[in-house]
Amino acid sequence: MSTLSTIGAGTTIRGSITCDGDLDINGRVEGAITADGELLVGATAALQSDLSARRVLVRGAVAGNVTAEESIVLEEGARVVGDLSAPRIGIRPGALLRGNVSTEGAVAPAPAKARVAPAAARPAPAPARAAAAPARAPAAPAARPAPAPVRAPAPPRAAAPTARVEAPPAPPPPAEEPAETKSRASNEPPPPVVPALGKGAKGSLRRGKGAR
Amino acid sequence: MATTVIGQGVTIEGEITAEEEVVVAGTVRGKLTADGPVTVEAGGVVEADVGATSLSIGGSVSGNVSATERVDLLGGGRLVGDVRAARITIADGASFKGNVDMDV
Repeated sequence: MSTLSTIGAGTTIRGSITCDGDLDINGRVEGAITADGELLVGATAALQSDLSARRVLVRGAVAGNVTAEESIVLEEGARVVGDLSAPRIGIRPGALLRGNVSTEGAVAPAPAKARVAPAAARPAPAPARAAAAPARAPAAPAARPAPAPVRAPAPPRAAAPTARVEAPPAPPPPAEEPAETKSRASNEPPPPVVPALGKGAKGSLRRGKGAR
Repeated sequence: MATTVIGQGVTIEGEITAEEEVVVAGTVRGKLTADGPVTVEAGGVVEADVGATSLSIGGSVSGNVSATERVDLLGGGRLVGDVRAARITIADGASFKGNVDMDV
């Protein structure tokens, strides 16, 4: 497993590829590709294959469905015609995609957030939300300070922020969070924030209060 | 040109066509054609007909083999199949079963 496997740019494979480790593909492949590790589809690669791996990084052309246990990232120059399915999916500017995108478990966090209670359900969706975090970043800070006054005395809620902090790809939110937490703790009453409460947040707060 | 490396733990079933060097440390079944040297490393398994400019076998090859330049069967290498090449060397400790055609 120590040797890195590479399909060179001048190589064409018709058939299936199974790989226990990581695999770099820069050539042409027609057939299913399965890797237990990371699958890197280079810029010169042209695949007519269904891809399945732990992580998939695409810089070249893929015609086929892509499935990953952890993440799929389409880099600039990627051209993918097919469906993407992974807990975390990234599509960078300059990547082309035609197909369905499914981040399994990413649909769940939205209702879970509103309910607050099922904290146990959170660990799984956490990574998925991380993928969505950058997009949501601008909206999130506005919504989050709102519940601050009520939230401060409620320790169980901390579950929500922790899940957020875990999200690695979004540096801004973690940076903001500690600041908010601090201000929350030091000067308790920030009433102007209350009107900013989103509909869902309000509902969640009330329910939380009643439960306690 | 880059190289194609089929590492340990990799299995390819099908047809491989390369315009470059191919190194096999994993498993290949089907057909392997390269416009460059092919190396089957110790631990590599090729169950395929192989065509290459030159072929070096340290692992196991089952299938007919043809090389435009040469075939080297290294010590510990194993070849079952016919060989067609201008030059062939068989090292001490190699196992080989098949015919050799050197275009005499």
